[in-house]
Amino acid sequence: MPRNLLLHFRPRRIPRAALRFSLTWGLGGMAALLIVQQLVSGLLLSFFYEPQPVHAYQSVVHIQETVFLGRLMRNMHHWTGHLLVIVTLLHLLRVFVSRAYQPPRHRNWLVGLGLGLLILIANFSGYLLPWDQLSYWAVTIATSMLGYIPFVGDGLEVMTRGGEEVSGATLQLFYAVHSGLVPALLILLMAYHFWYVRKAGGVMITVGQKSGQSDGKESVEVVPELLEREVAFAALVTCCLLLFSMAIEAPLGSMANPQLTPPAVKAPWYFLGAQELLLHVPAFVAVFVLPLAILFYLVLLPFIDRSSGKSSTIIRAIFYFALAALSGLTAIGICFRGPAMQWVWPW
Amino acid sequence: MGVAVVENSQSDSRRNFLSKVWIGLGGVALIQFFYTTFHFLGSEKKSTANQKEERIQAGAIDDFAPGSVTFIPAGQFYLSRLGDGGFLAISRKCSHLGCSVPWVADREQFECPCHASIFDRTGNVIKAPAPRPLDLYSVSFEGFQVVIDLSKPSRRSAFDKGQVAYPGELG
Repeated sequence: MPRNLLLHFRPRRIPRAALRFSLTWGLGGMAALLIVQQLVSGLLLSFFYEPQPVHAYQSVVHIQETVFLGRLMRNMHHWTGHLLVIVTLLHLLRVFVSRAYQPPRHRNWLVGLGLGLLILIANFSGYLLPWDQLSYWAVTIATSMLGYIPFVGDGLEVMTRGGEEVSGATLQLFYAVHSGLVPALLILLMAYHFWYVRKAGGVMITVGQKSGQSDGKESVEVVPELLEREVAFAALVTCCLLLFSMAIEAPLGSMANPQLTPPAVKAPWYFLGAQELLLHVPAFVAVFVLPLAILFYLVLLPFIDRSSGKSSTIIRAIFYFALAALSGLTAIGICFRGPAMQWVWPW
Repeated sequence: MGVAVVENSQSDSRRNFLSKVWIGLGGVALIQFFYTTFHFLGSEKKSTANQKEERIQAGAIDDFAPGSVTFIPAGQFYLSRLGDGGFLAISRKCSHLGCSVPWVADREQFECPCHASIFDRTGNVIKAPAPRPLDLYSVSFEGFQVVIDLSKPSRRSAFDKGQVAYPGELG
């Protein structure tokens, strides 16, 4: 039975060319691996976590100080969460570069966008859970950004917070989303995503194949050829993550104090591009028009870019330009902004 | 044969009709689902319902010297008494991104720690990025007491005299 089920996600044989690491850089598989790790470490943490103000912070301290391997577990969950966002973005970039969003993979591109959005929601909803000063005020800032959306902004802000301010209601809501809604949807969409990969005949083999290789048609067994490589790579990634989490602590500041905003508080790093923009352009452009434009672009991409003509060059140039701009803004937000968002040099 | 054809087309149209009914019912169910979900999510949470008193007494009128700004912890707002004796109850929530704004007594201004917005003692913006002045709560007087209604902070695009509440004898 399990073998039968797995066979629906995996073919029995694949072309030898599909084994080449640089086709995917292992990014999709790595994202899947990290998601599974997050599900496991998240479940373990949830046995000890209490989603109410004050208790939440104390339970995180308890996890760190008392629970066996609790500190390592929290560190891993924290760093894997951030790594997952980065890996997902790189995965999107790799798929974009090889034009794998074109048919027959156009529907899977959409599923992937949904997964990417879910990963952002997972990370952001997890941000509040430690209930320290950083998480409280970062979420205050990020949810306040919603208020700049025309017409529905205020309502959306109140709905996301479960009230006028970030409070126990917000924590409960975020915990439900983080530990209930997101994992369930992630598992469903991941299954769909994998199945679509198989349906399209496996990973995209780019035409950049070295000429002279006559084995383009040669195929190999998935077990063991592909599986061995995957397991080795997964072990390597897990090992690096473990070492990193043993060496570097996940930050935990002092307990959230709704009366006192600490200096130098920032939104989560993946929102810092938007927050940086907020200082330079009208608010509704930064938090509404641009994100919506990006979303529309990504959703429509497989349907507007189907050939490789001049229009395709322009469409793809927009992506690279937006990516460069957003990366630049995010880097500025992370490195060059100090207390009160004043310009500072990181060195 | 002819009978069979008639029967077929009859059952086809019946099938069509039934599938349309199903789709229609599905649509209704979907609307119901979204309607109830929306209202369910919009319901007031128990923990936030009774969190704050709606109306609080900040203190006696004479406790607040003209030209002073006092933080009222019970209601999480500032009571600013202007030089001419008028009162303003100013929200501590920055109008930019919701950070808590401290009153810096040395420089006599509100300075937001998040993005360096600055507001004067009336809550007016001195320095962006804050897009509008700090919100106000309505101030009234009962006897010698200053009473603030915290139910709904009001937004404003700029400070004007009409927002200031004066105790009766000055008014």
